[in-house]
Amino acid sequence: MRVSFERSGGFAGITMKRAVDEKDLAPDEVQKLHQLVEEADFFNLPDKIIPRSPQPDRFQYELSLEKSGRRHKVTVSEEALPEKLIPLIKWLMEKVRQARKGKESP
Amino acid sequence: MRPVGYMGIHSIIPPYMLEEIAKRGKPHQRDWALRNLALAGFIRGQRFALGILPSMAPVGHKSRTVYDCKHNDGEPPAGTLVRKEGDPPSKDIAVNEAYDGAGSTYDLYDDIYERNSIDNRGMSLVSFVHYDVNYDNAFWDGSEMVYGDGDGEIFDRFTKCIDVIGHELTHGVTQYEANLAYSNQPGALNESMSDVFGSLVKQRTLKQTAAKADWLIGAGLLMPNIHGKALRSMKAPGTAYDDPVLGKDPQPATMKDYVHTTSDNGGVHINSGIPNHAFYLAAMKIGGNTWTKAGKIWYIALRDRLRSRSNFAGAASATISVAKDLYGNGSKEMKAIRNAWKAVGVI
Repeated sequence: MRVSFERSGGFAGITMKRAVDEKDLAPDEVQKLHQLVEEADFFNLPDKIIPRSPQPDRFQYELSLEKSGRRHKVTVSEEALPEKLIPLIKWLMEKVRQARKGKESP
Repeated sequence: MRPVGYMGIHSIIPPYMLEEIAKRGKPHQRDWALRNLALAGFIRGQRFALGILPSMAPVGHKSRTVYDCKHNDGEPPAGTLVRKEGDPPSKDIAVNEAYDGAGSTYDLYDDIYERNSIDNRGMSLVSFVHYDVNYDNAFWDGSEMVYGDGDGEIFDRFTKCIDVIGHELTHGVTQYEANLAYSNQPGALNESMSDVFGSLVKQRTLKQTAAKADWLIGAGLLMPNIHGKALRSMKAPGTAYDDPVLGKDPQPATMKDYVHTTSDNGGVHINSGIPNHAFYLAAMKIGGNTWTKAGKIWYIALRDRLRSRSNFAGAASATISVAKDLYGNGSKEMKAIRNAWKAVGVI
């Protein structure tokens, strides 16, 4: 499984990206990622979850996922995030922070 | 970050619950619920609205409240009232910054543009500080301002900069006036209007002329170890920061470098550099205190001429025509504005 993650927008408008490949993760991390993707029901989420009138300065998230030959991309506004997707987003943001701190190779 | 998709595909909060909140919630919760009902088209023209609309009655004078979220998230944000209009300063610097910044923004609109608060009907100004944990953002949620404390690594607290506060409140003004759609060029114009008036709140507070102003947005918001002086520069878009971790400020100054993207609602925080720079060029040419002329022209365009789908070219013709009406055909002001939009390649 491979995940590409991007957070754009916000007041600062600074885009943060991270690609995560399960090949590079420890076994417990692989298990966690699979569990989060499962709980998010990711492959059944709509492509775009964007309100008609997005709130100014909120973040926009883009997640692309490849798993066993399946691909899906979801673009979602922060204020419209489905509850079940939030843990996956938080996990990925933590990966962005870790890469930034240089605690592991990006 | 525990949002609900009340307007999106997933309608988690059903209208009847919003109605309950609108009837029985605290004032800011009622405003939030009412707005979402209105956006969803539930109360337009219905009798239901009549009984609760008085809760949004204008106060008609400056009325600020600041709530402390105590690092809780939630939509709408919730918190404890920590300072209201006329109260002495708090020991909490974020509370005082939110209060004072809202006051300076109210004053710019009231003193200079004769606007009665954000909605021009005397709406009270509600701020929430200490939202969520390490929240590196500030936003206008449709009826109130919400500020995070930053992550302490890249961003300091978002109340720190008075132009950030003016920026957020101006999103409210835009919502009640042109209501510029928040994507692509109309969205970038929406962002630019917030930067323009955010900068003017700062310039007026510091008593700076166009020539003296730094024309930066969010100066001091980046932590000292980050290579950058601010988040955006209206004077030189694309030069605010250049950091090994953050990358380089992506803002273009002219249409030649317009960024086509699906990120950030179509690059609304990126392409705002173009109208921002046009405003800077016009203000520098006109000279003096920017809020008196260039600011007034932009304000009237936002209030009376721009529409939800207006693009950069629409903003150019609107501001040129307002300058013509206010200062005369062929006036120095009108020429300055036309030349500014030409310089950035919009016309």
